[in-house]
Formats: sequence, structure tokens, C-alpha cells
Amino acid sequence: MSGPEDPSGWANPFSTRFTRPGGIPYRFPPGTSAELLVERLAESGWQGQILGAHGSGKSALVAALIPAIERAGRQVVLVELHDQQRRLPDDWLQRADPSRPAVVIVDGCEQLAPWNRSAMKRSCRRRGLGLLVTAHRSLGLPDLFRTSVDLALAQEIVRSLLGEQQSLIAPDEVKQCFERHQGNLREALFDLYDLYEERRPPGPAV
Amino acid sequence: MARSFRLYEKKRGNRRTGSKRFGSLGEALFFAVFFLLGCAGMVFLLATRLIPEWRVNHAFIETTCTVIATDGGKTRIAYHVSGEPVPRVATAGSTAIGEPDKAEGAGDFAQDGKYPCWYDPAYPQTVVLARGYTWWLWLTLSVPISLLLIGGGGLVYTVVSLGKSVERRAARVKRSGPRDSSEETEVAQPAFPHVPPAGRITDSPGTELAYRLPMAGSPAWTLGLWLTACLLWNGIVSLFAVVAVNSLWAGAPDWVLIVFLIPFLAIGIGLIVVFVRQLVLATAIGPTLLEISEQPLYPGRTCDLFLSQTGRLRIHWLEVLLACDEEATYRHGTNTRTENHRVYQQSVFRRERLEVQQGMAFTARFAAEVPPGAMHSFKSGHNEINWKFVVRGRVAGWPDFQRAFPVIVRPNGLGINKS
Amino acid sequence: MKEPLVRIRLDGNGRVHRPEETLSGEYRLDGISPEEIKAVEISVLWHTEGKGDEDLAVHDFRRLSAESGDRIDVRRPGRFSTALPNSPLSYRGVIVKIHWCVRVRVFLARGREVLGEVPFRLGEVLPPRSATFWARARAAEEDSHSRLSPSEEDRHSCLSPEGLLSPQADPAAAGEGLASVGEEVPTAATDPPDSAGNGHPPGEDHPEPKAEATAP
Repeated sequence: MSGPEDPSGWANPFSTRFTRPGGIPYRFPPGTSAELLVERLAESGWQGQILGAHGSGKSALVAALIPAIERAGRQVVLVELHDQQRRLPDDWLQRADPSRPAVVIVDGCEQLAPWNRSAMKRSCRRRGLGLLVTAHRSLGLPDLFRTSVDLALAQEIVRSLLGEQQSLIAPDEVKQCFERHQGNLREALFDLYDLYEERRPPGPAV
Repeated sequence: MARSFRLYEKKRGNRRTGSKRFGSLGEALFFAVFFLLGCAGMVFLLATRLIPEWRVNHAFIETTCTVIATDGGKTRIAYHVSGEPVPRVATAGSTAIGEPDKAEGAGDFAQDGKYPCWYDPAYPQTVVLARGYTWWLWLTLSVPISLLLIGGGGLVYTVVSLGKSVERRAARVKRSGPRDSSEETEVAQPAFPHVPPAGRITDSPGTELAYRLPMAGSPAWTLGLWLTACLLWNGIVSLFAVVAVNSLWAGAPDWVLIVFLIPFLAIGIGLIVVFVRQLVLATAIGPTLLEISEQPLYPGRTCDLFLSQTGRLRIHWLEVLLACDEEATYRHGTNTRTENHRVYQQSVFRRERLEVQQGMAFTARFAAEVPPGAMHSFKSGHNEINWKFVVRGRVAGWPDFQRAFPVIVRPNGLGINKS
Repeated sequence: MKEPLVRIRLDGNGRVHRPEETLSGEYRLDGISPEEIKAVEISVLWHTEGKGDEDLAVHDFRRLSAESGDRIDVRRPGRFSTALPNSPLSYRGVIVKIHWCVRVRVFLARGREVLGEVPFRLGEVLPPRSATFWARARAAEEDSHSRLSPSEEDRHSCLSPEGLLSPQADPAAAGEGLASVGEEVPTAATDPPDSAGNGHPPGEDHPEPKAEATAP
């Protein structure tokens, strides 16, 4: 069976279904864990920012932190901002249950217009909401973590995705992909999708 | 020009055009606005600049004047009209015509010197000390001319089409026979979830076959954008240019303004060049029309096609492909990426060494079959499978062109077993 | 104690299903005590897979809930059946794939869930990379050319019918004979980038056209 949880046997392990944030378990560097980061976040008054380049795993880290934040007794309000989205959804504040402490997580926060960002920070402060953002550059919140991906980590992730089909893609090819995209793992995985698709064995009848 | 073109084409998506008549009226209104703007601009330029300048160079009468005084760029002169002295001393302009009291400068003239001058026989107080043409004024004519052409051409096309299409459709549908799948009503057909409806294609009747396929994307939108940019930029820059030129002619050039304007003028000229180039490219290769005998299509079934290509062209080769593209959109974080992959391509028509004469059209009829076992058209939130006919060609002296005409392929049950 | 497991079996022994046919089958809950079960959901759905975000649509959905008084008997298999739609058909594309499946999700006490899923095939669409698809496409193309009568084609051309009937493997080859003094002969390098030949899959005669990633 190729890829995790693939009853059909058709799946390309580099499909977005398997590689989207949360699909690949975040690999913490030694000495770090989701719980430790949540502790650090709590120490900074539940205010923090996760910084990193494109495709370095910011969204994946957020997906890994959410259960830990919830275990710490805080509800999570996740807002994912996409390309060109300059303001928060209208109902973002209503998503939080006022009877429970909450942390608002804004993924892609630098997309917000500066005035919307300031308004968001003010609203969170007024309501006692925690705020954790992801961005490519500092937005003035305490640094929680800086994500990065090196070749060794990329190789490990690819190995785990390939499962029993390691022979289809050589480590050198992973290296070339990774270097061609200058460390952007997401783009490298898209390229590996095409490579796997060209070389995949014929699937089962269904 | 080889073609008239419409700025408004059928848009993609499930939106159906409402009343065709209302749509055509809206279209006519759209072009009428352009036409009126062009008229207004033309009238303004002609009345205030071009005609007066022409009159200076052709209608003004020469005489001799005496310079009374030169003061701050103003040259005050005395001269005779038909032997009689002009009642008051006039301030001479150059070729720029307007109120003669405005000091516009007339070069170096010595006091009490005698010089030739030219006066307006209709209004002798209007006099100039130099003649000639202001080249950039004639360049600005391109702006209202473009508006007139776009608006006028579009208006004519809209009015002509409005009158023709309904009657011609009735006649053609009668002639083209029973291969018209519009007779299968939507009510009789079972639903096809996530297969785009064929309605947006069957909205447009053909003249030779049942349906005229809409073209994906229209060069007119690109042209419209360039024209808008051109007009806005040059409109603003020309205001400053007028001031700068006036200061030059007045003998007191504003060098700061002139130097500041140079790069802006360069950009403005560049925009005009780009627009003209786009216009020529879009109009030289005339409209491509593709009509089809039935919609939607089914795997394993054949349809007839009619191709018409106009334009004054020498074509090395002209080809029609049937193609299928997969499209996948991925959005996460700040990243939105859409990827296309062609999974099928088949040439259904090809001709080489054609010559299309001005005002005539190359036409051809041929058949195409969607291969048995092919996947149907599909559309979901982030993934699509699109079928299309692609007309492409290589034309002498022009870049290769390619125009796509989307079609809908429905499933016919089991795929390969049904034909 | 056995691991909780959901087994699903489709009637028809894994054959390909047709649109509008009835899909039926049964599911069994193994290793699950009846007291633990809060609800069972049976879905017939399709989802996409590939390089785009996953889309999913449920064609048929049924929920049995202990709270609502529905009888959930773990000793006997549960049955399901539904009439399949006309589309979308199962598809094994390159960057877009469509999978149909039956999912049974069992909600247990203390927030646990057990999921069982079995795929099935709706329709027999050929994968675009399969040799069978291209063989049939070539056959269809040759059949299409052989139906063209000379009178239809010669209306606008002085080419002979024979010149039209042979499918062109390479648009660049069509350039042979075009050249005269001073004219450029189209070659593979200068042909339009998506030129892939007639009736041939991208990649067979030419390097496969690279998928273009375009950001809006």
C-alpha cells in the first residue's frame, strides 16, 4: 500500500491530502516539543509569533500545537488567511466561547493590512484572548519559534511518505528538488508528486 | 483594420446571460460611451488647438510689424491691416492661438525693429510672429481617434449582430438537421453532478451549425486595460506638457518641469506604442469562429465542426486540436497555486499554406470524436477537468496564435462500452 | 480484547459499478461492544486527490444513533444500498484523481471513533496514461479520418485525400515542404510548447509538457 491510509492503493503519497499541514506530523528538533512551546506561550501571556520562510512548516507547526493548547485548557480559534486576504473574517470574534479562555491563531498574519492587524491586537487584548500568529517577518509579538527545514528533515519526511516504495525516488533526487526550491519543502513535494506519478507502478483494479 | 472586436465577451462560469436584447443594448451603450468620449475629445482638440493652428499656417495674412516693446516675454507690436493701422498695439503670439492678450513669447525681437507677422483676417487683433506646427498636438489625436474607432466599431458590430442573429439562427437550425442535442431537454436528461452545464455554450446559436463556441478569454479585455492606462497616463502628462511647452514658447522655459516631464513622456509614448502594437496584433489576425453541431459531447461520439478564420493572412499552418486539461488549485497559508496539466491532445484538423484575403474568410468543416473511455468534464471547488478545442496557427510576420474554445463532455454511462 | 474493526463488503465482488445502478453491501462491527456504540454513520462519497486541495461530496448518508432509538446490532451485519449517480465517474488522472468509497464511521463512548472504508469504481474511464486509452484514441482518430469524403475536404484545399488520412505524429513534420527560400521551417523547438503530436500521449514522442504552476 502506498502512502499512509490509502485503502484505494491509487494514492500518490505526495498528494495534498497527505502533505497538507497536519497531514505530516511536525518533527520537533531535539529538546523541543509541542508541550514545551505551549508552556513558553503561556509564559509570555499567550502572545506569540511563529516565524519562517515559505514552505518551512509554520502551518504544520500550528496544526501540531492546537491539540497541546487545547490540553492546556484553552480553546483555539483558528483563522487561516489566504493570498490577498487583507482582513479577518467578520465572525472571527464570535467563534470564541466567551465562557472559556481562548487563543486566537492567525495563520498568514502578515497579509493583514497594518490597521487591521492593530485592531486585531487591540480586540484580543480587550477581551483577554491569547494571540498566536504566523508570519514571514516579525510583527512585534514575542518570538515563540522559528521554523526551518533542512535537507535531512526533508529526506526523512519523504521517506515516511514513500513507505514501502523507497526505490521509486532516490535521495539524490530529493536533494536536487529541495535545492532547486531553495528549501521550500512544499514546492519540493509538489515536484516529487510529478516524479512519483511518472514512475508509479500500475494501481489495483479499483 | 481586419476586424471589429468586442470588449464584452461571454464570461466563464455558470452565469447565464439574461435577455439577449438587454445584453446587446448594454453592449451598445458601452460602446456609445467610448464613441461620445472620442467625439468630445476630437471636437475639443480640433476647436481649441488644431484648427486654429492650421489657420495660422494657411489663412493668416502676412504683413510687416514694428516692435514697440518686449517685456517679460511679451512682444508688443504695431502693424497695418489693408493699409490701415490696427487701432491698438497688439501683443503677438507665436503659433499658439488664444487670447492675444496672453503673453506667449515670440523669440528675440529688437525694439523698433521691423518683422513679418501674420494676422487673422477675421479678427485682425490676433497676430503671430512665427508659424509652424506643434507636433505633439497631432500625436494627442491618437487618443480620441482610438476612442472613436473602438466605440464606433463596437456600436456598428452590436447593431448589425442584433438584427441578424435571431433570423439567421432559425434558418440555419432548419438546414443543419437533426444533430442538435438542444432538442434533448434538460428535464428529460438525468442530472450530472459536478459536470458543468452546457447552457453557457448552447446560449449562442451558430450560423452554419447548431452552436457557436465561446472563446476562452478575449484579447479585447487586454486591449481595454492598455487603452485605459494609456489614456489616463497621457491625459495627465499632457496637461503638464502643455504648461511646459507654453513656458518654452513664452521664452521663459520652466526647466525643472521640462526635465521632470521627460521620463513621464517617455512612459506615455511607450504606453501608446504598446497599445498600438496590441491593437495591431489583435486585429491583424481576425476573429476565429468555431461552431459545433451538438453540445454536450459524449465519449465515443462524433460531432461536426465548422471553422472560420478571417484576416488578411498568409498562414503557414492552421490546426484544430481537441484537448483535455486537468486543473488543480492548492491554497494554504499565503500560498495559492493553480496547476494545469494536459492529459489528452488530438489534432482533428490541419491545413498548410493558406492565404486568406482581406474581407474573406477561410472556412472548413470537419468532424471530431471524443475518444471512447475518456473522462467527462468535471468541476469541483479546487479541481477541474476541462475539454476544449484549440485553434492554433502560424502566420507569416506575426507571432503564433492560439485560441481555446471550451466544450462540455458528459459521461455516457460506463465509459468505453458505449459509443 | 480484539481491536475494534469495521469490515465492509460490497455486493458484486468488487466489480465496476455503473451510473444509476444500485450499490449495496453490508458492514460488520467487530470487537465493539454494543454498549459502547453511540452512533454509526454510513456514507457513500467521492473525494478528489492530487495536487489540488481535496474536494469531497457525500452522495448518500445515513446515521444510526443509539440516542434516537435506532437499533444497532453488532451481532448482525448492517446493510446499505443507494442508487449511484451519473457523475462524477472514478478517475485516475495525473494531478486530479476522483475516488469513490463507502465509509462507515462508528462513534464510541469517550469520544473514540472507528473508521472503515472500502473503495469502489464507478464507471470505466480509462486513465489518461494507460496504453489502452491511447490505442483507442488512435483508432478513433483513424476512423474519423477515414470517414471524411474527398469532396468535403477538397472544397477548401488542394491537398489530396491521402494527405489528410494519415494522422500526423509530429506537427514539426508537417513543416516539411512548407519551406521555401527565406521561410522558416517549423521544428520541434519552435513549435508551440504544447505540441505533443496527434493521438499520442504527452511524453511518448516528445518530452512531456511541464505542468505550469501559475499563481493568480
